[in-house]
Amino acid sequence: MAGGNFDAPDSGGKGKDKNKVKGRGVNIDMTPMVDVIMLLLTFFMLTTTLAAPQLMKISLPKGDVKDKVKVDMGNVLFVRVSEKGNVFFAMGKSDGSETPMEKIEVKNVASKLEALFAQNNNLLLLLKFDRKMKYHTMSDIFDEISRAKIEKRYAFLKMEPTDVEKINALGG
Amino acid sequence: MAKKVRNIKKASIHIDMTPLVDVIMLLLTFFMLTATFKAAESEAVEVSLPQSIYSDPDNKMRENDVLTLTLTDKGDVFLDVDAYKIRQKVFGDEFAIGVYHPDSTTKSEIETKGMIGNKEVKRKIVMLNKAQFEKALVDLKTTLRSVSGNSKAEFQVVVKGDKDTDYGIVEDLMESLHETQNKIFSLVTTIKQDKKE
Repeated sequence: MAGGNFDAPDSGGKGKDKNKVKGRGVNIDMTPMVDVIMLLLTFFMLTTTLAAPQLMKISLPKGDVKDKVKVDMGNVLFVRVSEKGNVFFAMGKSDGSETPMEKIEVKNVASKLEALFAQNNNLLLLLKFDRKMKYHTMSDIFDEISRAKIEKRYAFLKMEPTDVEKINALGG
Repeated sequence: MAKKVRNIKKASIHIDMTPLVDVIMLLLTFFMLTATFKAAESEAVEVSLPQSIYSDPDNKMRENDVLTLTLTDKGDVFLDVDAYKIRQKVFGDEFAIGVYHPDSTTKSEIETKGMIGNKEVKRKIVMLNKAQFEKALVDLKTTLRSVSGNSKAEFQVVVKGDKDTDYGIVEDLMESLHETQNKIFSLVTTIKQDKKE
């Protein structure tokens, strides 16, 4: 090993010849292999779908649609979303009425939810979405609900015409 | 000096492909391992999914027994399952796809134009009204149970909604799902980068 790789001037022509022979023997022509691998690579690159879909789980309440569940209205938070995608929060009161609606930007929903849950940990979100609202707003809202570190309890309610009137009075 | 130049010239004829092959091999194995093949038929209707940041890590799309509800921006709901045997039994054709148009005030796009956007749907269309749609949902589940021999088998219900679908369609769909005892379902979204954190 030692000194064997040096091109010593006195090693003469013989050593050089030996090196050449060795070098030739190691060379394998990889071109066909590279061709095949390239073909395979392009095939797999074109056929793959990398963006795996994400799933957002939604659970509807147990029981039939007609079943009525009694909820303490004091533990209810109404989340109304207008046609334009604006979010309105209103707290329920034990006597069945609710506090005035407050307009909130979608990106602030999570922090607002956390603040409200800090006061009352048993809140139930009643989601009322406008029928003309775009579907992506729904996934945005669920994103925000998941982002907030709260226990997820929600139910879907239908938007009533009176709700729409109130929302429109606040700018829709 | 002259000898050295000649040597370099000779050596340059052989290009060492080993590093190239190494890199390509790595890429190849990566793509081979991550590849999930699209079944051409499962993408009967393409919609632009909404984006989301969060998803349940333990809620993954199953390989089979998936019931897909695709909502187009014009309000058509496509009902499809991944097993052709079940489709054969419920819709009467191996490649049929059910279409339900919940909004009675508008016309179904596929029924009037025969295509979605400017894309043709290559599969046999079975139009369903609300009652037929709900019956189909129940029939699909009973057929799955009889075919698989498992009396507790359930579909994984996934909703692929176009981001511009009206929520009203989703609301009607959720009502139908609730009535047919499909109380857990998932919304399919694509990943969005979270810029806030």
